[in-house]
Amino acid sequence: MWNWDYTLLILPQILEALKLTVSATFVAFAVALVVGLILTLARRSDFKPLSLFASGFIEFVRSTPLLVQLYFIFYVLPEHGLSLSPFIAGVIGLGLHYSTYLSEVYRGGIESIPPGQWEAAKALNFTPLETWRKIILPQSIPPIIPVLGNYLITMFKETPVLSAITLVEIMQTAKMLGSHSFRYLEAFTIVGVLFLVLSYSSSLMVRRLEVRLNLR
Amino acid sequence: MSVPLKVIYNEESTKSIGNDLRKVAVQPIVNYSNISKSYGDLQVLRNIDLDIAPGEKVALIGPSGSGKTTLARLLMTLEEPTSGTIEVDGEMLWHQKTNGKLVKANEKHLHKVRGNIGMVFQHFNLFPHMTILRNVMEAPRNVLGLSKEEAVERAVTMLKQVGLANKIDAYPAQLSGGQKQRVAIARALVMRPKVMIFDEPTSALDPELVGEVLEVIKAIAAEGEMAMLLITHEMDFARDVADRILFFDQGRIIEQGPPKRIFNNPESERLQTFLSRFNRH
Repeated sequence: MWNWDYTLLILPQILEALKLTVSATFVAFAVALVVGLILTLARRSDFKPLSLFASGFIEFVRSTPLLVQLYFIFYVLPEHGLSLSPFIAGVIGLGLHYSTYLSEVYRGGIESIPPGQWEAAKALNFTPLETWRKIILPQSIPPIIPVLGNYLITMFKETPVLSAITLVEIMQTAKMLGSHSFRYLEAFTIVGVLFLVLSYSSSLMVRRLEVRLNLR
Repeated sequence: MSVPLKVIYNEESTKSIGNDLRKVAVQPIVNYSNISKSYGDLQVLRNIDLDIAPGEKVALIGPSGSGKTTLARLLMTLEEPTSGTIEVDGEMLWHQKTNGKLVKANEKHLHKVRGNIGMVFQHFNLFPHMTILRNVMEAPRNVLGLSKEEAVERAVTMLKQVGLANKIDAYPAQLSGGQKQRVAIARALVMRPKVMIFDEPTSALDPELVGEVLEVIKAIAAEGEMAMLLITHEMDFARDVADRILFFDQGRIIEQGPPKRIFNNPESERLQTFLSRFNRH
């Protein structure tokens, strides 16, 4: 049966682990944002080898499970001299995996820009880099912010998979607490409630943001 | 005897003599040489040869789909010719010489030559995320490398010239179509091109807004220095502004000459038919 004393006893430990979960989410999201944009631009490149590599990478990453990718980064790379901490391996794995999805989101944003914008930029003799920086990206990003926000939430809910590569995030913490005391109910319930509260409140914020962006 | 004298010295004939003289004496600012353009099986331009003198105002008229816009887009480097060459101010646009051989121009070369050309589009193509001032000053600031103060000053001067100095903090969405197009004209002019393309600048406007845009273009034309390539369906405007009219049909220049000659004495049957459609209303 539910034990409140035990709940209060383990809560601080789980909240401590929550910090790690949240920072892993944000760092992985930052990786995904940057790599996703690079993949999008690479795929649009006129330089064929680059665009083929980007498309191939995207297909490969999306067609294999995240767990396999994480195992590969964490357990196989050290055999070839690249040892990463669970946190670094985790954010790289999660970040790269989601970069392929974000790349698709960026692509949608970029393709929604009318051709006249590209033409005007060329007529004013902006270089390709200036065109991206000043004209295309500032118009492509704001409309996709809500979608990006939803991916952030999805990534947050995906972090328990990082426990598979020994990262002591909240799921792993709850599991360890359970195996010490043989009480799983409280620990896993707390984890579930924390995910619910944070994800739901974040999704409300994303929705409000969406409304504000639509009003503009 | 006074009648032939009048003919000889009338404004049109001196204008056309002036043009011919300029052509002989001065290197053209734009030279199209044997230019063709195809999209698959569809040939939109057939072996076009055309010289535009510095400061000359050339109007392109003709039915839709006759190749006028494509001719302008090749000059703005928005599309690549299938064959032939274009020179701007004596320099190849789409080609460059490497070790004595003519090869396709790289982006650096295109960037250099393109700086001589400006364009105003049918659908304005203002940058919706920037204020009017930033729309106009962004290219001088970034492309010409002016300081912020210089870029602002030049942009404001231009916006005054098109009568929109009071709108500098507005966004494009807050302007009428006519105002948008005037901003677009300021944005192109602020780069001080040697050739300016107007691609049907009033076709997307409500009828009551056409006049204000045409007035602005006329005022710019009157200043004289800049060559202009005007694509238009406004025949009165073409007659007022242009030194020379080119009539396009099916990818060819069918007939060309000074406005009065073209409008009053069209020679080809196709031009006569084309003009009769405008005269009817």
